[in-house]
Amino acid sequence: MAEAMIEFRELTKRYGGLIANDRFSLSVQSGELMTLLGPSGCGKTTALRCLTGILRPDTGHIFLDGKEVTELPTHQRELGMVFQNFALFPHMTVLENVAFPLMIRKMARGEREQLATEALRLVRLDGYLGHAPRQLSGGQQQRVGLARALVYRPKVLLLDEPLSNLDAKLREEMRFEIKEVVTRLGITAMYVTHDQGEALALSDRVAIMNKGRLEQLGTPEEIYETPRSRFVAEFIGLSNFLDGIVQSVEGAQMILGASGVQVTTVALPGAAPGRKALLFIRPNEIPLLSADANMTASFAAKVEKVTYLGDTMDYRVRLGDGAELRVQTESAKRFHPGENVRIVLPKVRCWLKE
Amino acid sequence: MSLARAYARGLWDGRLVLGYTLLLSFALFIIAPFLMIALRSVGKGWFGRLWLPPQLTLDWYRWAIEVGNIPEVMKNTLIIGIIAVALSTGIGICAGWAFGRRQLPGKEMLMAVILLPRMIPPITYALGVAKIFYALDLVDTHLGVAIAHVSVCAPYAILVLSATFEGLDERVIEAAGVCGANALKRFFYVILPLIMPGILASMIFSFTHSYNEFTLTLLTYGPHTVTLPVRTYLAVGDGYWEITSAMAVIMVVPSLVILAMIQRRAKPEKLVGGFKGV
Repeated sequence: MAEAMIEFRELTKRYGGLIANDRFSLSVQSGELMTLLGPSGCGKTTALRCLTGILRPDTGHIFLDGKEVTELPTHQRELGMVFQNFALFPHMTVLENVAFPLMIRKMARGEREQLATEALRLVRLDGYLGHAPRQLSGGQQQRVGLARALVYRPKVLLLDEPLSNLDAKLREEMRFEIKEVVTRLGITAMYVTHDQGEALALSDRVAIMNKGRLEQLGTPEEIYETPRSRFVAEFIGLSNFLDGIVQSVEGAQMILGASGVQVTTVALPGAAPGRKALLFIRPNEIPLLSADANMTASFAAKVEKVTYLGDTMDYRVRLGDGAELRVQTESAKRFHPGENVRIVLPKVRCWLKE
Repeated sequence: MSLARAYARGLWDGRLVLGYTLLLSFALFIIAPFLMIALRSVGKGWFGRLWLPPQLTLDWYRWAIEVGNIPEVMKNTLIIGIIAVALSTGIGICAGWAFGRRQLPGKEMLMAVILLPRMIPPITYALGVAKIFYALDLVDTHLGVAIAHVSVCAPYAILVLSATFEGLDERVIEAAGVCGANALKRFFYVILPLIMPGILASMIFSFTHSYNEFTLTLLTYGPHTVTLPVRTYLAVGDGYWEITSAMAVIMVVPSLVILAMIQRRAKPEKLVGGFKGV
């Protein structure tokens, strides 16, 4: 295993009675782009602020490149950081902003301006050296922020919701720009966001946080395909949940019944007839068939609501016992509200309930 | 009816004339008293119903400077002003930091208390100050008069600097820290340039208030701490209108200089200019 560049070890931070980080542990490998993902209040920002040294954890340790930095002041940690609100120095030009970390490190003027210009070329802003930050658009300001964070080649780049102040289209573009720059420099990066789309598109690995703890750690694909809990499944992508019960276990497979539907899945350890289970199905993994379709393991349902989303159709269908499912299809066949249809459930994940 | 309409139309057509007339009267209303004093200070033999002084002279200024001892008085005024500016800006920075950057319990209440000296009638306040200063032997000292002025200047300084510190973005300072700047460098390269306009505004406010302060000075001054407003007031009592007018005009000069400074220098971009290229 590669060496950990960033490591949180049993980090705990309380605000009064509120626990922001509860024995949070995570290690980021060298050269990896790790995303801390979670809803607001999940502790991701607190963890980041402990890493930058703006907050001190109550207990636990933080390591950067193998050295403990828990008590080290911010300015000695040699970090690069991109801020949500850009946090550029308003009284300096673009060039001065980017050259600031080099000036602090007492680099000669000519040299630091050359390096700063190079960093700005990397983010395609070398035509704006003399501009004031407020003269630039949001996207340009954030690219200045990125150049400033990278200019002195820090070991670690931190990105704190860098795209949330930008409009949707720009966000999409900047995602790839950040990913490309980070990959090209081979720098270790930690990206904090509440936007699952960003997390999936950017990351080598995603760490999902909930209530101050690490909920699941994995590649974007693992997180999306095999969420470990209802929280992760709900947070990443769209999902339907059905309460079910184990009807029988046969070797490596078990049959689950829920809302008048019967599905066969891989048997979970501890599965026994009568155990309650939670079934989880992605809306885009439910084919819709017309009511006269003759197919085994298909189930009757009724279309309640149809929404046109451009590239997909979004249906709400109701099963026999009243449970509602959300279905998204790309097929050209349209169904209408009130129409009887049949659904197929080829891909069902489930967890046993306690 | 149609006559009224025609009249209204006439007014509407003449609205430019009307507008300028109004503006001019307003300007006269502001300028006339000052114009009166200025003319009086250079006029000779201007008595009775004459529209303008028959002769112009600078004699009254010479008299004011020699008899009124203006250089000494000006020195006192400036010394007191500088002490008052230093004290109130110092207080303003500390209090402004606390108000602008910390979550203070009862912030509004505290702010009201700080502004209280401005709500009490100045003469009432000045009487109390004088009483205390006599007991402390602060009457007729530059420091004493300056401290009295601070009670007027500090609230303004605190107001201005609270707003300045409130506008200071915490994350910009954090960003400087992440960039490797220690507390000292963060202060000199980031915080100071960003709060400089506020500090300058507070200094100008404080100085003009100290410079113009009359009531508080009147009850705390002595032979060694006569200031310009007090000296001018005393000259009124002496009965020489021309000399008093000359003093009043002299008093305006520093205010005009400050005004020019504000217009030229105190622009934020220019202030920041001093820090370019660091």
